[in-house]
Amino acid sequence: MAVSRQAEGFLRRARRKPHAHSNLWVTAREAFFIALETLRTHKLRTFLTLLGVVIATTTLIVVMSVINGMNLYIADHIANLGANVFVLSQFQWAQGDEAWLKARRRNKPIRMDDYEFLKANLKGCKSIGALGGVWPRPSARYQSHTIDEISLQGVTASMIDIGSQQIEYGRFISEADERHSAPVCFIGQDLVKEFFPNVDPLGKEIYISGQPFEVIGVAKTIGTTFGQSQDNFAFLPLTTFKKDFLGRPGINVSIQAWNAKQMPLLEDEVRVLMRVRHHLSYREDDDFGINASETIMGLWQRLTGSIFAVTIAVVAVFMVVGGIVIMNIMLASVTERTHEIGIRKSLGARRRDILTQFVIEAALMAALGGALGILLAGLISAIVNHFFASSVPLSAILVGLTLSTIVGLFFGIYPASKAARLDPIEALRTEN
Amino acid sequence: MGSQVASSPVQDSYRPPNGMIIRTEDLWKTYDMGEVAVHALSGVTFHIDRGEYVAIMGPSGSGKSTLMNLIGCLDTPTSGHYWLNGRLVSELTDDELAHIRNKEIGFVFQTFNLLARATALHNVELPLIYSGTPAEERLERAKEALRVVELGERMYHKPNELSGGQRQRVAIARALVNNPSIILADEPTGNLDSATGMEIMNLLDRLHQTGNTIVLVTHEFDVAARALRVIGIRDGKVDRDERMR
Repeated sequence: MAVSRQAEGFLRRARRKPHAHSNLWVTAREAFFIALETLRTHKLRTFLTLLGVVIATTTLIVVMSVINGMNLYIADHIANLGANVFVLSQFQWAQGDEAWLKARRRNKPIRMDDYEFLKANLKGCKSIGALGGVWPRPSARYQSHTIDEISLQGVTASMIDIGSQQIEYGRFISEADERHSAPVCFIGQDLVKEFFPNVDPLGKEIYISGQPFEVIGVAKTIGTTFGQSQDNFAFLPLTTFKKDFLGRPGINVSIQAWNAKQMPLLEDEVRVLMRVRHHLSYREDDDFGINASETIMGLWQRLTGSIFAVTIAVVAVFMVVGGIVIMNIMLASVTERTHEIGIRKSLGARRRDILTQFVIEAALMAALGGALGILLAGLISAIVNHFFASSVPLSAILVGLTLSTIVGLFFGIYPASKAARLDPIEALRTEN
Repeated sequence: MGSQVASSPVQDSYRPPNGMIIRTEDLWKTYDMGEVAVHALSGVTFHIDRGEYVAIMGPSGSGKSTLMNLIGCLDTPTSGHYWLNGRLVSELTDDELAHIRNKEIGFVFQTFNLLARATALHNVELPLIYSGTPAEERLERAKEALRVVELGERMYHKPNELSGGQRQRVAIARALVNNPSIILADEPTGNLDSATGMEIMNLLDRLHQTGNTIVLVTHEFDVAARALRVIGIRDGKVDRDERMR
């Protein structure tokens, strides 16, 4: 007997060697098809189960898309002062209320002589220009046609290099116009459409706030920002503008650097010049504002940052709810399929085979929810884009799919391990 | 005897020296029911050789289901030893038992236990899936097994499109497909009318004649009579063990 025991020990070791029984890939593939089949047979149940994940993914991607779209849009349309341009103005843009109230008390308007001073002393810049606006917006008239409100600005000749306007035909305001305070204007496409649909506008006289100006040039179409046309404008020579329209006394000075590297140096130079001119001691803050595109983008990004933080919280809640619903339905599914699990176990399915099967089912289900969410978000984004700005970034699609799959995996583990731990005899005895 | 085995090549080690495929030694199975301990099996010892056709008989409550679960590696004994095909399986873990069930045992159940949503072919493929057999080979072997039980024409039917006898034949094909050491049939005719039951018994006879070891668990005398040896179980003990022919 002892000898045969020994032999058995040997046999046991010998038998254990060939372990061809661990091909998880084959069982994972089987699990994938079982999962597909299950989802197919329970379409409505699957759909209802997935609502949470769908809503979570949709929310996440829509918000990401809108923010992404707005980022592009703002960089393009609003924060676009021009390449390497910064603006000297009375107030720093995008600052807090308190700082603004303080600035309101002590900041002086930027005047024409400030511009002249900078123009004379700032040697390194590519170009420098000034512009002033008027509020409320004046009306414009040509013969019997009237536009109630146009954006009217006085500009220096150099603004053609700095601003975003381009000449369609005719010419821009010239330095000679500036010197002579000539009664001329450079107009946008909206005015052309309204006043000169079939006529050459050059040389015609339009009336702005009752005063006549000769059209000398027409700008190329710019488009709309937030549904506001950007082509509804007229530019006058800054000198003419100051003479005829006593709006706010202040102007803005636009300064263009040669390249991005020169920008901060030039900003510092302007700051020093202005502080000297305003006799500020080293302890005092600036009493003027220097603004670049980044100032606007920075404000916007602070805003989207908080929107995004809220979104993350909301999406997290949805995802957890969605995950719990998936867990619940998977638990029901395990109970419902106890007999099947028993059969599989009797045929040699190990714990990890059953675990894989149910985890894959949960993950696939959640991924499907993620995919539905992405489709829905794409649809919503396309609709939003009609009125607003929205563009689905690739990262959102990846994040949506990955996140929902992870939620499925995570909440699938408990039901799956419950299934895997079932006793085969008990499971086989269960009838359903 | 032992030294003979030890010196033989590994391949031969799958065959125990005396052709013994099942050997149990003083198997006990005790269920703890709170105050009292119920002994479902109290010291069962027997052995079955390769190629035998054995019926395990006993009235309900005799412990024959418990014994079948132990032989089928669905459960482990409270005490005692059980060697299946030379391997001591009474002390294995769940996953090791799953492996043994997959390789060594072909189950045929009273209620067929087929997956309702899967085709006959897929049902037969299942043991091969869990042994990690590649898809092509799997399909080939599953089809072959279905041809052996004369269901080559109905491979793509689902269980509810098959008659009871056909379902049981699918189950037998599934039991055969991994070339197990034993085919363990638990009341295989219990859910069939007598004519169909006869058909299934004829099929089992044929499988025995082609060299399979068959262990039949039943309480019906005429079913047990098809076997060459009957082991009677009563009150958790072997109360008779006789060769019929």
